[in-house]
Amino acid sequence: MAEKTIMLVCAAGMSTSMLVQKMQKEAESQNLDRDIFAVSTSEADQKIDDGTVDVLLLGPQVRFKKDEYNKKCSDKNIPVDVIEMRDYGTMNGANVLQTAEQLMDN
Amino acid sequence: MCEREQDLEFAMSLIAYSGDAKSHAMEAIFASKKGNFKEAEQKLEQAESSILEAHHIQTNMLSKEAQGENITMTLLTVHSQDHLMTAITFKDLAQEMIDLYKVVENSL
Repeated sequence: MAEKTIMLVCAAGMSTSMLVQKMQKEAESQNLDRDIFAVSTSEADQKIDDGTVDVLLLGPQVRFKKDEYNKKCSDKNIPVDVIEMRDYGTMNGANVLQTAEQLMDN
Repeated sequence: MCEREQDLEFAMSLIAYSGDAKSHAMEAIFASKKGNFKEAEQKLEQAESSILEAHHIQTNMLSKEAQGENITMTLLTVHSQDHLMTAITFKDLAQEMIDLYKVVENSL
């Protein structure tokens, strides 16, 4: 199992998987052992309950669910944030990975 | 940037802007539910401007195609169109819901 797990959540888990590939490449080049994956909002709850997620990032299309996820994740100490729209549109894996790393460091 | 990479970025930007618009529309409904109608209207304006951005990207893709530069059709490009349509529908319905919440508040 990887050292840390980063979960990305979007409406269908489809568009975000493009970003996952970029983030994985970035993590490899930085020699970071990370498990990064994308899920739909309906699958996310299960993963949170499993307790294997270290950080949760929401796509801009599900930003309105941030409060809901904050509540679900607070007692499990999983930090939650929204992916910057520009980073999402340009699939900037490096920036998104940095956001995730900073959240886990806090 | 290669052609394919550029098409991919078009699709992802379309999803990002449309998604942002949809989130703003939902947040507008949440605000009006709490009686914050000013905030709701602001959120709707933000939704509108993100849809406008998405439209620009869409127009870009269409004019590229009209000029004979075919865009590589992928599941993701189709999916990005879904996002735009959803965002437009959400924004229009959010306006109606805000109006409804206003009626409810005024009748209390």
